Amino acid sequence: MKMTKIYEGAHQWVMFGRDENKPDNIIDSNQYIVRTANKCLLLEPGGTELFAPMMAAVLHHAPVEQITDLFASHQDPDVISSLGLWDQALSNAKLHAPALWEGYIRHFGCESVEYVPIPDNGETIKIESVELQIIPAHYLHSPCGFHVYDPVAKILMCGSVGSAFEAPNSPVFVERFDVHVEKMRYYHQRMMPSNQAKRAWIDKVRNLDIDILAPQHGRMFKGDDVKRFLDWFDSLQVGTGI
Amino acid sequence: MIMNSQTKSQFIAVASITSELSAVMVVAKEISLAAANAKAIAFRAGDKAKGFQPITDFINELAKETIELVTNINVYALLLYRLTVNEYRRTAAYNRFEQAGKLATGARYADSMQEPIAHARTIMQDCQRQFKRDVTQLLGQLEAVMHHARAARVIAANSRIEASQAGEYLQSLQAVAESVDKAAHTIHDNVQRCRIALSIYRNS
Ligand SMILES: [Fe+2]
Repeated sequence: MKMTKIYEGAHQWVMFGRDENKPDNIIDSNQYIVRTANKCLLLEPGGTELFAPMMAAVLHHAPVEQITDLFASHQDPDVISSLGLWDQALSNAKLHAPALWEGYIRHFGCESVEYVPIPDNGETIKIESVELQIIPAHYLHSPCGFHVYDPVAKILMCGSVGSAFEAPNSPVFVERFDVHVEKMRYYHQRMMPSNQAKRAWIDKVRNLDIDILAPQHGRMFKGDDVKRFLDWFDSLQVGTGI
Repeated sequence: MIMNSQTKSQFIAVASITSELSAVMVVAKEISLAAANAKAIAFRAGDKAKGFQPITDFINELAKETIELVTNINVYALLLYRLTVNEYRRTAAYNRFEQAGKLATGARYADSMQEPIAHARTIMQDCQRQFKRDVTQLLGQLEAVMHHARAARVIAANSRIEASQAGEYLQSLQAVAESVDKAAHTIHDNVQRCRIALSIYRNS
């Protein structure tokens, strides 16, 4: 599992991905942690297959008992099907996930972990002194989904938005936006159902101060590529699967 | 996670109890019907089938008890199935935890994984022990059903003797004895199959 520190301040952000031991027939996904002095939040913990490498990778940054919070942007298995395992490994943890999906996500196994439902209009979660804004991203692609914005680190973990499917071992940041576009186009056109939802999201996100856009699959966007992505997404017609 | 063959066969063994027992249930009901039939014939036969009457009551009783036993076993089999699912889940988790522990070698906080690993191992072993305990108990209950089946066969043999003295009712009473014997035989075989499937998991 490749680890990349993407923010280092009073707290840290680390991106995990490109797991070299992953079976070929499951999609590669990015996981993130927000590490504070005594706590650790795991964003998009991933699928069952990823549990052991992910746990091992987190142990470079935090002891098990300090993994106190999990976040799932939506209900898909590549995001959170490992829940049943985290549930047995963590003795004192919360899962922040969409209220709408609670009955569904619990199918993955959620007995000791406390399910903290996120209301449709989002909320703020606090990990020690770090305040994270949970921003609604409904119909992008899931009917109920949320992104995580850290105004201090200026990172937006944008779930499925900005996702691309890459060759194994590709770099973690976009290097040439024009080349990268082709790896995103079909996914966004096919998976995102609503131009209206896309528009509302872009309007909201343009008002945020963002250094890094961190999606659940593929490469992250930084610097000018953040604006490039928003402009590109803005002009893309989505919902083309009909 | 890929199921190993031990888990797979455990699932199959537990699931097969329910299917074998539903067949036992059908046959037990047949015996009960045969007993009612025999009672009617014996009643008509009057003195000629005097020795047959208490036998029919006995057959009926036996069938009822078998049905009751099987009903209880079915409830128990469902519990055992749940236990199997739980054990599978716990074992899968333990294996993943161990894998994580190995992959974390050299990581700063690798040691913190030891406690969850130990805890998962304890729970997994508890599940395995409980499964073995429950299987042993279930085998005992199945033994009771077999005991009933054997008793039914003895009664069927006695019935044949009694039937031979029933004059013109000989054939119909013999048919009753025959059907009880056949049914008891089927019950015996089905239950035996359950026991064989389960016996490898019992407490040694
Ligand atoms: Fe998804």
